[in-house]
Amino acid sequence: MPMYIADYKKFDVINGKGLRHSLFTSGCTHHCKGCFNAATWNFNYGTPYTKELEDRIIADLNMLDVKIAGLSILGGEPFQNVEGLSPLISRVRRECPGKDIWIWSGYTFEEIVADAHKLKLLSDCDVLIDGKFMLEERNLKLKWRGSNNQRVIHIQESLRAGQAISYE
Amino acid sequence: MGVVTANLPRIAIRAQGSEEKFYRLLDELLEACKEGLLYRIERLKGVKAKVAPILYMEGAAGSRLQAEDAIDHLLENGRASISLGYIGIHETMMALYGKSIFEDEVLPAKGLQIVKYLSRKTAEWKEETGYGFSLYSTPAESLCYRFCKLDEEKFGVIPGVTDKGYYTNSFHLDVNKKVTPFEKIEFEQVYPQYANGGFITYCEFDSLVHNPEALEAVWDYAYERVPYFGTNTPTDKCLECGYEGEFEATNSGFKCPNCGNSNPKTSSVIRRCCGYLSEPSQRPFNAGKQKEVLSRVKHM
Repeated sequence: MPMYIADYKKFDVINGKGLRHSLFTSGCTHHCKGCFNAATWNFNYGTPYTKELEDRIIADLNMLDVKIAGLSILGGEPFQNVEGLSPLISRVRRECPGKDIWIWSGYTFEEIVADAHKLKLLSDCDVLIDGKFMLEERNLKLKWRGSNNQRVIHIQESLRAGQAISYE
Repeated sequence: MGVVTANLPRIAIRAQGSEEKFYRLLDELLEACKEGLLYRIERLKGVKAKVAPILYMEGAAGSRLQAEDAIDHLLENGRASISLGYIGIHETMMALYGKSIFEDEVLPAKGLQIVKYLSRKTAEWKEETGYGFSLYSTPAESLCYRFCKLDEEKFGVIPGVTDKGYYTNSFHLDVNKKVTPFEKIEFEQVYPQYANGGFITYCEFDSLVHNPEALEAVWDYAYERVPYFGTNTPTDKCLECGYEGEFEATNSGFKCPNCGNSNPKTSSVIRRCCGYLSEPSQRPFNAGKQKEVLSRVKHM
């Protein structure tokens, strides 16, 4: 099944540090109460992912005039689209030096690390915002996440240490 | 020595779609502006140094005069600017060609052509009189309303021209046009070099206190392209409920989105208006400027 894309936002300043581009994948089975993007639970929401979009994302990340910090991947649940995302993330790593990748997930860091398939994708990214959104823990003052249980995790340091290490 | 601002949309309306007629009317208008500016210079003749001691007696304007000395010679030889201003390139294009300057291939050059024309005129006047004539991109804090209102009374409601309640700042892109900061800067960057009497380019943002790096990317882009750039981010505070963020602009003033408070005494609302920071909840804008603020879109 091809991956569907709910949205691609150029020049996003809300999701992650610096000026970024954001890709929202479609499909999520977590169904958190109070989800900010419930339309994207459907795996066929939006438009199919294409090579053309992938080329555009790479070019947009490497634009010369504007300093782009990196790519943010949100959902849906990106880790339920591992096959669809892997080629893009590999290309960003290969073709966009100096750009970081932030990824959001309803799974916790520990759950992702325990699944070899998901771990592969995680290990190519830089920052993970993890955990389900919990309405009763909602906090509007948090950066980059919606509820107190969610964490902003430095992926590479955490993988080296074998435990979740906070990004800031 | 001051500014006289040319109402470009008015002559664009009167030209009824004829570019040739527009430039003919523009020449007439510019003669009137020149007369007004020369009158301003005339009025300053014989003014004594004591009216502004720091400027004229303590050296700020280049020499130390005695209290009763006339200041005339300090204003000559291009040492004091006297400015031709202009308003509403956006509405001028709408009135002349019925299209937005941003959505057309040819119009950007037409808009620039007008500003270049004005710039050449001021250079000629400078050459001719020795006074420091310059072209000023009038921000029109209150004039934005006055000219539009006068024209609406005279010519009626014209879509895209007099129907909004305000005219747009000089060469600026329509405040209601949803573009990225980079597109706005790219559009406006060609004008400042012709506006040697002053100008600004600015973009509107949501609160970016959590992401100064994003703002920095915009500044870096602007730094290479425009000489004067402003970024507007909300810093409003409600002293009743403690909300920090952006107050809602309404036709009657500014309102806290959290508790609905609109009491100026317990609100802190700061806006950049025409380059200056002001507190419109304490000292309201006029009706036209308030409408302009209401029409502003975020560029990111």
